[in-house]
Amino acid sequence: MEISRDAYRAIEDIVGPDNVTDDPALLDSYAFEVMAETVRPNQSHFMPRPWATVLPGSTEEVQAVTKVCNKYKIKLKPLSTGWYHWAAPLTDNEPTVQFDLRRMNRILEIDEKNRFAIIEPYVIGAQLQAEVIKRGLNFAIIGAGSSCSVLAGACAYSGVGPGAFNMGGQAENLLGQEWVTPGGDIIRTGSLSSGCGWFCSEGPGPSLRAVTRGVLGSRGGLGTFTKCAIKLSHYPGPPIMEAQGRLPGYRMPIHENFRVYSIGAPDWDAWANCYHEIYDNRIGYIFHKQFGFAGANIAPAMWLTYIDPTKTMNDVETAVHDPELQEVFKEARISFQFVMAGNSTDDIQLQDKILDAILANTGCFKVKRYCEKDFAEFTNMYMQRMGHKHCNYMWVGGYMGSWMQWGTPDFVKGYAPAAVAAFDRDQKSHLLVECGGDALMGPGSALPGGGQTALEQFVSYDSADNASIKACIKHMEDAIVDSRAIGYPPGKESIYLQVGWDQERVFDAWAKMPQQFIFNFQRKIKAAFDPNNLGDRNYQWLPEDWAEKRKVETNKESHVGLGH
Amino acid sequence: MKTKKEDLIAIVGAENVADDAQTLESYSRDQSFTAPRKPWFVVRPKNSEEVTALVIWANESQTALVPVSSGAPHFHGDTVPSLPEAVIVDLSRMKAIKRIDFRNKVVVIEPGVTYSELEPALAKEGLRISRPLLPRENKSVIASLLERQPTLIPRFNYSLPEPLRGCGVVWGSGELAFTGEAGMGPLSLEAQWEAGGAQIDPKGPMSTDLMRLLTGAQGSMGIVIWASIKCELIPGVHKYLFVPGEKLEDLIDFCYKLERLRVGDEIFLLNGAQLATMLGPQPGDVQVLKQDLPNWVVVVGLAGAAYYPQERVDVQEKEVKKLGSEFGVKILNAVPGVTNAEVVSTMAACSSQPYWKLKLKGGCQDIFFLTTLDKSAQFVKTVFTVAEALKYPTSDIGVYIQPQHHGVSQHVEFNLPYDPANLKEVAMVKEVYAKVSEALIEQGAYFSRPYGAWADLVYSRDATATRVLRTVKDIVDPKNVLNPGKLCF
Amino acid sequence: MSLEDLRLDAMRCTRCAYCKWIPFDLVKSWRFSKGCPSIEYGKFHSYSAGGRLITALSLMDGRSTVTEKVIDTVFKCTLCGQCDVSCKMCRYDLEPLADMRELRSTFVQDGHELPQLQPVLDGLRKEFNMLGQSKKQRGNWIADLQVKDLTKEKAKIVFHAGCRYSFDGELGHVARTAVKILQKAGVDFGIMGKQENCCGGHAYDMGYQKDFRTRADFNLKAWTEAGVDTVITPCSDCYFAFKRLYTAEAGSTIKVIHMVEFVDQLIKAGQLKFTKPVAMTVTYHDPCHLGRQGEEYVPWNGKEKKIFGQAVCYEPPRPRYNGAFGIYEPPRDVLKAIPGLELVEMERIKEAGWCCGAGGGASQAYPEFSRWTATERIEEAKSTGADAIVSACPWCERNFLDATSADGTKMKVLDIMELVEQAL
Repeated sequence: MEISRDAYRAIEDIVGPDNVTDDPALLDSYAFEVMAETVRPNQSHFMPRPWATVLPGSTEEVQAVTKVCNKYKIKLKPLSTGWYHWAAPLTDNEPTVQFDLRRMNRILEIDEKNRFAIIEPYVIGAQLQAEVIKRGLNFAIIGAGSSCSVLAGACAYSGVGPGAFNMGGQAENLLGQEWVTPGGDIIRTGSLSSGCGWFCSEGPGPSLRAVTRGVLGSRGGLGTFTKCAIKLSHYPGPPIMEAQGRLPGYRMPIHENFRVYSIGAPDWDAWANCYHEIYDNRIGYIFHKQFGFAGANIAPAMWLTYIDPTKTMNDVETAVHDPELQEVFKEARISFQFVMAGNSTDDIQLQDKILDAILANTGCFKVKRYCEKDFAEFTNMYMQRMGHKHCNYMWVGGYMGSWMQWGTPDFVKGYAPAAVAAFDRDQKSHLLVECGGDALMGPGSALPGGGQTALEQFVSYDSADNASIKACIKHMEDAIVDSRAIGYPPGKESIYLQVGWDQERVFDAWAKMPQQFIFNFQRKIKAAFDPNNLGDRNYQWLPEDWAEKRKVETNKESHVGLGH
Repeated sequence: MKTKKEDLIAIVGAENVADDAQTLESYSRDQSFTAPRKPWFVVRPKNSEEVTALVIWANESQTALVPVSSGAPHFHGDTVPSLPEAVIVDLSRMKAIKRIDFRNKVVVIEPGVTYSELEPALAKEGLRISRPLLPRENKSVIASLLERQPTLIPRFNYSLPEPLRGCGVVWGSGELAFTGEAGMGPLSLEAQWEAGGAQIDPKGPMSTDLMRLLTGAQGSMGIVIWASIKCELIPGVHKYLFVPGEKLEDLIDFCYKLERLRVGDEIFLLNGAQLATMLGPQPGDVQVLKQDLPNWVVVVGLAGAAYYPQERVDVQEKEVKKLGSEFGVKILNAVPGVTNAEVVSTMAACSSQPYWKLKLKGGCQDIFFLTTLDKSAQFVKTVFTVAEALKYPTSDIGVYIQPQHHGVSQHVEFNLPYDPANLKEVAMVKEVYAKVSEALIEQGAYFSRPYGAWADLVYSRDATATRVLRTVKDIVDPKNVLNPGKLCF
Repeated sequence: MSLEDLRLDAMRCTRCAYCKWIPFDLVKSWRFSKGCPSIEYGKFHSYSAGGRLITALSLMDGRSTVTEKVIDTVFKCTLCGQCDVSCKMCRYDLEPLADMRELRSTFVQDGHELPQLQPVLDGLRKEFNMLGQSKKQRGNWIADLQVKDLTKEKAKIVFHAGCRYSFDGELGHVARTAVKILQKAGVDFGIMGKQENCCGGHAYDMGYQKDFRTRADFNLKAWTEAGVDTVITPCSDCYFAFKRLYTAEAGSTIKVIHMVEFVDQLIKAGQLKFTKPVAMTVTYHDPCHLGRQGEEYVPWNGKEKKIFGQAVCYEPPRPRYNGAFGIYEPPRDVLKAIPGLELVEMERIKEAGWCCGAGGGASQAYPEFSRWTATERIEEAKSTGADAIVSACPWCERNFLDATSADGTKMKVLDIMELVEQAL
């Protein structure tokens, strides 16, 4: 499918011939996305191919190309670092331009005094963190890691990560932003809209940013975000994160103002109680159930092998049977990583005392082996820089996160055992990585100050093996049933699967949600800001009276949820 | 054909519809310079069904509704109808504290619940919420939060609307829908609680932050019929420190560091006049105190909650004193004329009567905006210069600087007391208000809450905001029945 | 060898884009965080290692065909291996660098060649060197130095200068210096003189595996006949070719030592002492082929097996080449041993070193891209405040010399052997 030659030429005139391509092989590098194989026909790894990929270099170029797309009715899908099937175009045979925003990669300003940074879309977490910690500042890198666009997390996606509990997620840290609507207008929000600088995301009056993101952003489905400001927090650590040792398990010495622990819980009740006490006591800088994603039956063997540069995956097979590791397996079964940071020695020592009191009161404990110097320093590096997130795929390339219904710790502990049992069952096919039913991972709190968490199952499959891919799909479908069976809404596997549905089927699903207000609201916002329908259904909306016309029964009673 | 009054009686009951002259007069004006306008009725609904019915009726009859939750005095003109034939929807009957969830530290309340009602109820459970500076007793908690009135504890202010979380809303279209995570579940709080929901995530649902459309909206988008609010533990130990300064500039760097380190709970900056007004029980006391108090003072509350409260306070106090040495400022346990205990008890309570800002002269005009701390001194200078030029007694001006959003933005507020019975003073303050507002906005002050005349100043300069907000308004209140004439509507 | 051999890796790529950056734990600034010159220059995702895997998949599935643009994405890469290091931070099963080499080889096999490389290959085939010079001139660099001629005599050690040192007049003195050091150390060694052939490493990287093999076979035969069991070279590209390619592809068992390793050993054994201070601040550039690609080769002939149901490992265990054990410390130890010399490090060093831009045929096929890459590195060197950028590879040095002369930069470009000579 070829883009109109006039449109192509118009775009070339804007960005230059080197910054636009419609070569099919190059376009396929944008169609190829992780998890495409779970939703595409014949488990293809390719989502629908864009008809052209454009590399704009400025907001003005973004706007100009957007206007060309409006003129020629070409859909628009912006992408920065991108990662997940919904980052690609969603519909086959639909003319689509994909923006690759990598040329817009500058940190425009770091206002150290007032603690914010102004960035373009292709600034990744590692880059921004490296620059701001020089100034004694930091921010919460998202759970997907420091390879990801900071702006995307703030403006267009979720923005939650291990540091959200202390520093806020990117939604809380978003200040002013600049948005090129699908209609081709430039909208600036908050104080920026009023010409007062970048420092405030609210107002004037009702907050303009309310239409650009909620719990999720529009994920490329409602225009392009070209700049934003991010609030920064104080960082009491060193100005450079000095990685030491050999890859892959780099270590970072633990600064005197920091403590790095892995905390284990004897059961899910204790786990939930511990989370609540941490919330109440307001200690904790990085708080995440991270290493468990490798599976409770393998994780200690895997991670302790990982930090040894002489070892390979073969050694994990031996290590799981190592008698010396059996105690670690027990302790780490339900465990999470917990980094504390203090302003002073007194402060951190007091936090240590408080943590000990929490552990004593809840029956939780420090996982001894994980708290030893070598592993603690590895944990320190890993959790602060979040630079190892392609470990999600380390077994064999395929990873899909299921469950992950967001709620209070009590809500989450309500589904954790069922999620474990279900995954355990599904692994018996031998078509998924058999890591044990508990491969649960999630932030200590998605909300700053505590209150909301979630756990996702790390389902690992061979993305080069159709049988394994199908086993993953089956797990996803079963997870929806398993959730409902215990009275929970489906988790994020449902929104992953929906990427492969046609538009009507998706609308039917949304029409069942108990509250339809938001879909109608978003339909009207789309009509106002995307009059030519350039955005896709990553920005959710429903046609008018859809439920009525399709005779879909809206489920008023139960919590039907879509996940994050 | 029924009359409007009959329609209203059918919805809320006769005893909850008022159109007597005295009642209408009381709602026709407030403490601001907003032109008075009498409403036609004041109705007092009891629940969301009545509110919904009212809004639907308003749509059908093309009647303006003005939601009001707090008792008088009001200050910003948002409760005064802008159009004729308006109906005041007084939500003060909706007083339920629907749920105090200690485990998840969330309270769900109705709009008529005031600070003087909520705080003791929470205290019984060992909880508190981050509150504004000396709210009046009859101030609606929800109204305060919806209007983004600044709260005192910057380290809990992860975003400006905090501690506001979810809302149940009757939108201007008459639809009932919830915001945040509550927007994803059934349209019943009870059903959501049954399923383990706690209305704790304010964001959403989906790709819209519906709650944020209600903040700063002056009731023009929807009528909130419940809100969930994040609570904190009551500290076991709580004390205040005071950091005096001759000039505001002397305290800026200290404040920057303090806020950056997130040491302390309450942090705010007052000039002497403001502190005196807050603390002096009588006008005469205020004048005496003004003489003794420092020109400027940072008030720092140190609190210890949960485990080891005293040690928490000790560690923080040590840090504050260290900052004092670093920035060459004194750290005091009291300021002249006022004991620490008096400050503690004042800060813990609601304002005594009359409302503290009115204490000095009976009237007060507020001017406030957001900025960054480094610019605050220049704005103070602007206000004082303009006021002085217009012969306003600048020694009466109260200044209050409240760090928000962990200190990244600062609410800067000026209170100009005046005698409302003195026509000359009224005229002078009106002029000062107008000229100061213009000067400030030219200088880059961010009027994020554009009340009254500020609306025109802000939106005439901000076409984007006007466009976006009108688009949203057309969606959620297509017939513009909710508080028309406010903001850019 | 066909595209299908890349299928597993291509399908198991997760488009995480780690291949574009240095390992994130090592990032110290915005400016020096990038790892891949190819994606930074070419910009479209296809210019990354992951992107090339997708290209392979797209081609083998018949979704696209080889165009000029595709050829550009496949060949506009120095094969520096940074992508390989970063990918392998978490992936034990993917081999992006090896895959990219194989992709080039299949392209060449299928006739998708770069015309601008043709003269280079002609030169290699006729004159046995990469610089298009007459083979009769090879060995002239030795000038008046008296060194055993291994075409006539025998020795266990051959000193292999390499094409760049042999023919690049500006750099040849480094080879001479190395020889003098060996002589001073009393090493019994010889050279092949005019019979020295190109190592073939560049040809391999350009996709011409047959040409590589021709050179390799020749060299190995000549060495065997001369009784050689060890090759010492001052050129990192040759080092890599001998250590990793000759072993893997041609069954070589010859021991391989880089001059800098040898000097390091001499110093540590007390056999080489520095007597003169060298007052200079230098920063060291890790050549890709000595650093992250300089790890020991371990023969392996096995197959994939699955454990824990689907997790990939190998039977027998497959060696892991991820740059963890590259040759990083010997050159630094040598520099630190030189009195008066101050070593300041760039941000991207060792396994995270930014490429000089010369490898993979880039300097021959894409001079602008190659120059740009070198300039980036020089900027990084300048940021340390060093007087000179020092390396252990003539191809790096040539590229840096060209970059610095082009923009008139005052930064000196030196080889470690030059500093060693100054300090002796």
